[in-house]
Amino acid sequence: MEITDLTRMFAGAFSAVGLVLCLWLSRVEFGKIPRERKIHIGFATLSGLAFFKLLALAALFAIPATAVGVANYHTVEGVHDVDSCNRCHVMTPMVTDMRDPQSQSLAARHFKNGWIPKDQCYQCHSDYGLAGDMRAKMEGYRHLARYTTRTYTEPIMYRGVFHNDNCLKCHQGTPAFQAVPSHATVSERLAESSLSCTNCHGAAHPSRERRTPGHPDYSKLMGGAE
Amino acid sequence: MESETPQPAEPQDIHRREFMWAMAGLGAATAAAFAGWGALEALVPPGTADEWHKSVCRFCGTGCTIRVGMREGEIVDIRGHEDGHNKGVICVKGSMLRALPKIEGRLTTPMIRRNGKLEPASWDEALDLIGRRFKEIRDTHGPDALAFYGSGQLFTEETYTANKLFKGGLRTNNVDGNPRLCMSSAAAGYVRVYGKDEPPGCYADIDHAELFFIFGANPYECHPPLWERVQRRRAANRNAFVICVDPRRSETAKRSDLHLPVIPGTDLLLLNAMAQVMVEDGLCDMKFMQRHVRFDRNGETVDFEAFRAFLRDYTPEKVEQQLGIGADLIRHVAHRFATSRASTSLWTMGVNQRTQGTALNTMLNALHLITGQFGRKGATPFSITGQPNACGGVRDTGSLSHLLPAGRTVTNPDHRREVEHKWGLPEGAISQTPGHDAVSLFRAMGDGRVKGALIMCTNPGQSMPAADRYAKAMQDCFTVVSEIVPDSETAKAASVLLPAALWCEKEGVLGQGERRYQLVPKLLDPPGEARSDLWMLVEIAKRLGLGDLIKARTPQEVWDEWRHFSADSYYNFEGMTYDRLRALPGLQWPCPDEDHPGTARRFVEGEDPFVSKGAGIEFYGRKDKRAVVYLCPYVPSPEQRSEVYPLYLTTGRVLEQWHTGTMTMRIPELRGAAGPARFTVSEVDAKRRGIEAGDMIEVSSAFGAVQGRAVIDREMRPGLVFAAFYDARLLVNRVVADHVDPVSKEPEFKLTAVQMRRLGN
Repeated sequence: MEITDLTRMFAGAFSAVGLVLCLWLSRVEFGKIPRERKIHIGFATLSGLAFFKLLALAALFAIPATAVGVANYHTVEGVHDVDSCNRCHVMTPMVTDMRDPQSQSLAARHFKNGWIPKDQCYQCHSDYGLAGDMRAKMEGYRHLARYTTRTYTEPIMYRGVFHNDNCLKCHQGTPAFQAVPSHATVSERLAESSLSCTNCHGAAHPSRERRTPGHPDYSKLMGGAE
Repeated sequence: MESETPQPAEPQDIHRREFMWAMAGLGAATAAAFAGWGALEALVPPGTADEWHKSVCRFCGTGCTIRVGMREGEIVDIRGHEDGHNKGVICVKGSMLRALPKIEGRLTTPMIRRNGKLEPASWDEALDLIGRRFKEIRDTHGPDALAFYGSGQLFTEETYTANKLFKGGLRTNNVDGNPRLCMSSAAAGYVRVYGKDEPPGCYADIDHAELFFIFGANPYECHPPLWERVQRRRAANRNAFVICVDPRRSETAKRSDLHLPVIPGTDLLLLNAMAQVMVEDGLCDMKFMQRHVRFDRNGETVDFEAFRAFLRDYTPEKVEQQLGIGADLIRHVAHRFATSRASTSLWTMGVNQRTQGTALNTMLNALHLITGQFGRKGATPFSITGQPNACGGVRDTGSLSHLLPAGRTVTNPDHRREVEHKWGLPEGAISQTPGHDAVSLFRAMGDGRVKGALIMCTNPGQSMPAADRYAKAMQDCFTVVSEIVPDSETAKAASVLLPAALWCEKEGVLGQGERRYQLVPKLLDPPGEARSDLWMLVEIAKRLGLGDLIKARTPQEVWDEWRHFSADSYYNFEGMTYDRLRALPGLQWPCPDEDHPGTARRFVEGEDPFVSKGAGIEFYGRKDKRAVVYLCPYVPSPEQRSEVYPLYLTTGRVLEQWHTGTMTMRIPELRGAAGPARFTVSEVDAKRRGIEAGDMIEVSSAFGAVQGRAVIDREMRPGLVFAAFYDARLLVNRVVADHVDPVSKEPEFKLTAVQMRRLGN
């Protein structure tokens, strides 16, 4: 079983327990709990009131907080697979192109030659993951808000900076990388992403023009869906 | 009854209150979410630049479309334009364009040589002096004592104006330029084969080719985006196969599937032998030939049998010894070329800069014509070009000494008349005598036949072969030089030095190797008093009393004049208005009207507007609508190794430097990556002379000598020495021979017999 499935099951169970607890506690009349009632949990003994107060704390704060935490973990870590990205239809052209054996884009070449065996989107966009920086999360939230409220216009322009770290983590230090003298002289610019790797090594995805409705390639890139 | 009095409805109040709280909570959560979004819209950084402008790379002839990122009035980022023909790919030189306008040591004021020393002057002083001296020279020695030496890096508007000013105004055909040094053999080849200059194919053919025949070219270093495109094709199609023909094991050769290291100077034998195999083994497309091709031997039309008979002297067995490639391999390559689903040939300076440059060009085209590898996607002969505007700016505007605009020649009376009419000149105004080509021009400057010259946007002091001789020629003449820096090898020889704007400090059109014209918008002001070359030409014209001839004085006015000029020719690009060029990442001519999308593949029905309906392919450049295959005998180069000069020197470029390094050697990232230029020698030749890596050596020829450090390359072919020409401190062109191709007049940079000796550590 994948860790993402476990996470989903865990989060689901937690949410269900929280919900049941909340419903149950809403029917408990705290004033009528007998003072002498004791509840034994293992070696600990609690008064009935204290037990229900603790239960209420768990139901109202601890369990929701854990559920939110697990959900966020799932959001940033559990959506590594390509299909997760493909759920937003604006990402479909990227995924279709990547899987197209005829495509010559950087993403397609990495895919078809097996250079990245799984989670192909995430491997090159790892700053959206838990270990990535805050800027990526801010951008991700903005994208989510724009997408769910349909307040974006096409062609979609990427506003941020694609971080070269995503390329360098695999390529830097390889013999092919070291053999190019200018990689050394522009290393600072590469490190700070002020000079993009894709300048010399090509666009990773179909151009904005091609993935905009109305372009002859658009329906093909949408997998023939539109 | 009292007992039935309703009690305060507490439970309902509690429910309502709870509901209100819940709603308030929900509202607050929603407001927080939207506030967070709003804040992020403001907080998420806007990327590396605030505004982006479409432009074109300043360096090589690939002519990559780029996006220039600006912030606070400065260029802060450069990206490949994903909608450009280059699909977003540029190279490290293009990436560092951001540093170009700010290179150290820009020339910011005119200078006049007084008592042997260049001193600052005002524009009026400099221009008045030029006007006065040019008039004196013309009146005393005739118009042919004046000359213009231009560049494949000027904007089209600038070269067109200079051509008009000198040929139409001053009435001398002494208009030439550095394209003579790099691609006049390609131009001569296309004109001889198709009747019209410029390649029939396009870069997109690389996306469809299955065989790449890279011949005398090193695109990995010299045209990296094109090599990247080849690599993309290989990664996308496992049948794609790359053959590289180069005497040197270049970076491209190392990355090719098959490298044919021919003996320097003998490669026409390979092409003739391949043709011989194709003819004898039945690999020719007879139907294509019967419809579209004729054969020519020294001006006489001959038949296919004569071609076959001519090739009998070039069987693989007969040439293998001299060529250095085995007969079996020649056969294999010929079969592979002819039978591939689509073969693309890519060639450049290794072919053009040769005394048989025109013959090599015609034979490369011939291989495509006899096998029918033509006019389909991926099947094309394609000469890659060296400079960003040698094609559009110089070849198309006819700004070489034997040409007139749009494919006309000065020796053709009808052509002269047409141009005189278009320029509003009296009949007979344009001289019928071809002017001096580059080498001949600098010789004339040296011996006093040419006494005044205007040199713009090029550095012949470093780029001419036998450079010492021509540096002196410039000093002996009244030489006006428009330059961006005061210390280039050419600036050092100037009588008057004019500070030039560069790249996006001015506006204009560049035309690159696939007949694509693109606009460079003005984004910055030039430094100090620097001005565009167009402004200088207009001001010089005024001082020569030729202001009436040069009526178009802004880039757009000149463009519109030239655009309308082209309308009645096969170069027709009247549909390329400035507005379209501002909006689009370039257009390829022919493009006869504003609705025309441009022409990717020339001579092909459905793409080229000049091809008749139903013709399929039509070579309309000639009256009989046929392309010509020439019987080109192999003639050995005048440069042959001897006991005194037992090695061959060949020159070229490196990835991070461009041309004479005037721009790229002043950009730290590029200078650091390339380092100082050095001689690359083989292990065998080094050992024989006691040379170790890093030693100072001297390489000398009958033309001159140069000292520099040695690098020993285990993969270097014994008997060959290589040096790049970007570094003025190792000015290798001092050694290079200046023999020229008899047709194209292009010098043979690629082959000089030299000797080499160790000087010390």
